[in-house]
Amino acid sequence: MSAAAVATKPVVQAMVRETEFHAVVTLGLTKRFGRRLAVDGLDLRIPAGSITGFVGPNGAGKTTTIRMLLGLIRPSAGRGTVLGHPLGHSRAYLPRVGALIEGPTFYPALSGRENLMVLARLGGIQPRRIDTVLERVGLGSRGLDPFRTYSLGMRQRLGIGAALLPGPELLVLDEPTNGLDPHGIAEIRAMLRSFADDGMTVFVSSHLLAEIQQICEHLVVIETGRLIFQGGVKELLAARAPELIVQTESREDAKHLLQLVNRIGRSAHLVGDNESMTLEIAADCSWAGDLNRLAMADGITLVHLAERRSTLEEAFFEITRSCAGQTVRENDACRGAGGSDRATGPRTPEAGRP
Amino acid sequence: MIWRSFESEWVKMRRRRLWYGSYGAITAVVVLTTIVTIAGALHRPDARGDLTLAQLAHASGLSEGLTQSGVLLGAVSFSIAAFQFGGEFAHGTLRNLLVRQPRRSVLMAGKCLAVLTFLIGAVVVATMVAICAAFVMAHLRGIPTSAWTSGTGMGDLGILLGDLAISACGFAIIGMIAGVLLRSSVIAIAAGLAVLLPVETILTDAIPGTARWLPAQLLEAIAQGGSATAPFGAALTTVSAYLMGAVVIAMLVFVWRDVTA
Repeated sequence: MSAAAVATKPVVQAMVRETEFHAVVTLGLTKRFGRRLAVDGLDLRIPAGSITGFVGPNGAGKTTTIRMLLGLIRPSAGRGTVLGHPLGHSRAYLPRVGALIEGPTFYPALSGRENLMVLARLGGIQPRRIDTVLERVGLGSRGLDPFRTYSLGMRQRLGIGAALLPGPELLVLDEPTNGLDPHGIAEIRAMLRSFADDGMTVFVSSHLLAEIQQICEHLVVIETGRLIFQGGVKELLAARAPELIVQTESREDAKHLLQLVNRIGRSAHLVGDNESMTLEIAADCSWAGDLNRLAMADGITLVHLAERRSTLEEAFFEITRSCAGQTVRENDACRGAGGSDRATGPRTPEAGRP
Repeated sequence: MIWRSFESEWVKMRRRRLWYGSYGAITAVVVLTTIVTIAGALHRPDARGDLTLAQLAHASGLSEGLTQSGVLLGAVSFSIAAFQFGGEFAHGTLRNLLVRQPRRSVLMAGKCLAVLTFLIGAVVVATMVAICAAFVMAHLRGIPTSAWTSGTGMGDLGILLGDLAISACGFAIIGMIAGVLLRSSVIAIAAGLAVLLPVETILTDAIPGTARWLPAQLLEAIAQGGSATAPFGAALTTVSAYLMGAVVIAMLVFVWRDVTA
């Protein structure tokens, strides 16, 4: 056995262990297009049976990563497994994977049903499955209409239908809500939840962080091809301190309350203009009663008191801002920013490379 | 596996508009060439050796018009094949296909077989219609057709049908290769037709003897059952070597290239 083989054996064994609990595992996955590094040493862990959100700014490398997982693009470096099979053997796992990549693309002149028939024949899937899938995505009555007559929402649903054709264990959806109205987004959200209820692993990339926050249990964040967070959505949000938002009857009361709060050692600050002023206090709702009593004791009336927790959007901007362009040492701090045991810091091209 | 890919491609090609358009275009080309050939036949031989009515009365007369349709038939076959392959890249549908059939060589082979069977069907239909047109034209021009229906005449027709099918398939394979390499049906058709028709014709006229090396000239010679510069056997051998080499290159490119469309 060569020295290189001996060196990589523990890595492979670790990956084998990971595949028991994860639908997708990658180690140092890298893609370079000429001089441009599109994906940079990505170590992904997508838990089996969960809905995992995949977020990042435009050009972060989400679609390139998805294409590598689906065997459409060859990684420049790194390794990985999908449903327990190595990335290089996509023919072993793709029959159990459904995918919608970069929006729904079908033959405009063919009906929705015929478009699915093209894929069913190709994948050796029973044609009767087409009707089941069309019903599931709500296109049962429009299956015979040409694809070119479909609305954007219907196209997205047909794309999801095509992904569902093989009865997949892993569903990979790239921007499934792109261009949809709120009603369409809600439909897709309900659909994704139902897939997860059926035991599917759903890996969904989206720009809509509010959507991801609502439906995903797990989150992967990348920027400029590098992993900057992965872990539970709840853990990510819980790690960010909540604030009490307080409004008083007057500006003078707000300033006075700020002094009172600071005096007892609470961090707080005033925001707003001359017309209205809001006090933001680093505390959760369990301290709201004490605050109210403190204000009343000094004759201050609170006209508004509420707890505000970080949204995923705020958390996203915070971790992308803090991790952008940092060194390896600084990236260790980003690991903590996730606040989760499973959170993983970004990797350099060398780190984690087999 | 190849059968699945073949069946899948036929789901696409069964659509009525493609059927009417392709079969209609090929039939129109073959029928028009037949009509023009018979209509233009001379009563007496001239110095240039143009076709005469007496020659058309021979057993091979029925095939005379059809042999002239080789290049046009090839151009249409090329365009259809380039459209079928280049369109998958341009529309982005290729990624859907490759997720369901990751063996790219199998996908390509199945699609190729489907397109070729589609075109062979079109050549057969076009030939049948052209035969009917030839009999009508023969009647109008007073050409005796008894020799056409003789055993020799039918044999010649069968051979010609085979030659036309081989020629059309050759053009179609070049079209597929162009579609795969250029990844766009529009660019593949435009560039391919430009090279195969005007560029090759200019080269043939400018440099004597090049007809025996240029693919479109060779395929045209095959459609005619061989020519003075490129006998059938030599043309078939040369063009087969070209196509095999080009198919291997296209297959390797298709298998190894990242799918970013």
